Amino acid sequence: MHYCVSTEMIDLHNQAPNRNQRECKFYWDEAYTLICGAGFTDMEIPYEPKWDFGGRSGIPRTLRSINIKFQSVENYMKVLKEAGINGISSVHLDPSMFCSGVMEMYFGAMEHFASEAIDFCAQAGSKVFCLTVTPPQATVKALYQGDDMDSFIAAFLEKNGEVIARLAKKAADSNIKLCLKNEFWSLLRGSAIADYVKSLKSEAPVYIDVDTANLQIAGVNPAQFIKDNASLIGAVHFSDTAFVDDGDIYATPSPEFPLNKATQIFKDLGQGDVDFPEIYKALQACGYDGVVVINAKQTRDFSRGLLRAGYYMKHCLGISMSDAQ
Amino acid sequence: MSNIKLSHMNHWKTIPYKQIDNFRDFYYEDKSNIAYYSDWDRILRYHKATGYDGIEIAPWDVADILKLFGTPKDFTDFVKDHGLEISGMFHGADDSYRADKYDEVLAAGKAAVDLCAELGGKHLNTCPCNNYYGVGPLDDEALKNAARVISDIGEYAVSKGIQIGLHNEFFCAVNKENHHKFIEMTDPRYVFYCLDTAQIAIMGDDLLKFYETYHDRICTFHLKDTASIAVPDSIRYDQDVEIRDDGWRWFWEPGEGVLDLEGLWQLVKKYGFKGWVSIEDDGTPDLLASMALSSYYVKEVLAKIYQ
Repeated sequence: MHYCVSTEMIDLHNQAPNRNQRECKFYWDEAYTLICGAGFTDMEIPYEPKWDFGGRSGIPRTLRSINIKFQSVENYMKVLKEAGINGISSVHLDPSMFCSGVMEMYFGAMEHFASEAIDFCAQAGSKVFCLTVTPPQATVKALYQGDDMDSFIAAFLEKNGEVIARLAKKAADSNIKLCLKNEFWSLLRGSAIADYVKSLKSEAPVYIDVDTANLQIAGVNPAQFIKDNASLIGAVHFSDTAFVDDGDIYATPSPEFPLNKATQIFKDLGQGDVDFPEIYKALQACGYDGVVVINAKQTRDFSRGLLRAGYYMKHCLGISMSDAQ
Repeated sequence: MSNIKLSHMNHWKTIPYKQIDNFRDFYYEDKSNIAYYSDWDRILRYHKATGYDGIEIAPWDVADILKLFGTPKDFTDFVKDHGLEISGMFHGADDSYRADKYDEVLAAGKAAVDLCAELGGKHLNTCPCNNYYGVGPLDDEALKNAARVISDIGEYAVSKGIQIGLHNEFFCAVNKENHHKFIEMTDPRYVFYCLDTAQIAIMGDDLLKFYETYHDRICTFHLKDTASIAVPDSIRYDQDVEIRDDGWRWFWEPGEGVLDLEGLWQLVKKYGFKGWVSIEDDGTPDLLASMALSSYYVKEVLAKIYQ
């Protein structure tokens, strides 16, 4: 298995003291060395076009921003290498921010930015592109005002499948695996993703991104899911949680922020109750040798989240990042 | 009765909750200050506690606000419940310089006016054009196009009880060489000016002279300080210049930079300005501290001159 850490643990979306630093290049130049210092040598980049619209090119999360600050992806990779980061193992795009207005606009933006992200993967040498398979279900349903929601959802998923098939072909042409990530709020939450992937009329293979916390919140045992769908797995996200969705929060407009009770749904690695030893055993048993992305969205203190992840991997799972590459 | 109503331009990033009732439990989940920056209820309380009368809304926050509150009116009612008003909203008139985009820009401007009115705001502070990089310099025809559509948005705004105030960024395509010309090209009956004290100075204008010249069109302020006076064109016109690679800050809390704000306030007194003044603390590492620091300056330093 090939381990990397997601820079999504550097939160830019919400307020926190010193958040302003995170829009500046200097912050990231140092962040790479901290990632290396914590024992990680590879990264995942969350692809976030949102920052392009505000001219925040100091945030290295799109092809545009990296080209502006480094002139080319090749130069960027050299900078990472100098900081002790060998590569970008995975790129993840969640296109939910484009889901408003009409369905056609969403799919237009989704395909545009996913294509761009695949171009970025190709230039960065990433072999995995993870795509959030649908926006939150409440967001999708808000696109439709009629009284036949079931037919609308069916049409949405069919169109979704057509776009995914085209993206999978583009990715495969560059030897990149397109992996679908199904958050707990997805239309394809839990084990529904497996049947959807199998049903796609795609010339190129489409894989599943197993996100452990998201599966668990959706009521699925991640280790069992891995055993049941081993041949479809293209990427794995180690994410932790202790959240139990006993209020159908997955169906609300802001599912990561439960309306009835404030809580931190995703935890740093080892802070929740996801059974990683069992998940690790299941991955070993099925001979998985792909990318494992370590993600944590609990603390706004990036260094703390990073070191917690490093500690958990080494001392609780017995995996040394440097040995694992 | 004060002549100045103090507002704060909202630069808090996404505020995920409307109101956190399980505040102590939420705090203990991480034992950090995340709980203090996560709901509108507390953030509005901070505004009230630090001496603000209102809040100015950023358009990029509206989608998240509506997710939490449902309608603009529901949000406004919540703001009022905290003893505050909504002073206005920001708007960017991108593509205003293009004749072929007139209808689109006008429609977007009218929609922003309507939203501002629904929120109960009075000022739609409007950046008149795109960023300079990739667009500027603008020729007279382009300026004329921009002035026409801005004036037409302004006419619609006035009919709705809203004032649009030109808000010129130091990196805007309307810039040093044509900023004054552009103001003169807009219709004074419908287009007013939001004086962003720092932006003007960074662009190279003399703040006090500017106020003297345009005091009758200045309907509101974005009050902030700077230590960067008359920054060279090569920097101002660069790509994505608002955020600097090395963390250099363009903007500071009033009193923490080098602007003669006390001199400005003498003029504000001279011309008897009455209305909203928005503090804008963009670029700060700590919004709560900056809100308090800025409010202190207005109430303890400037208010001795005019309030």
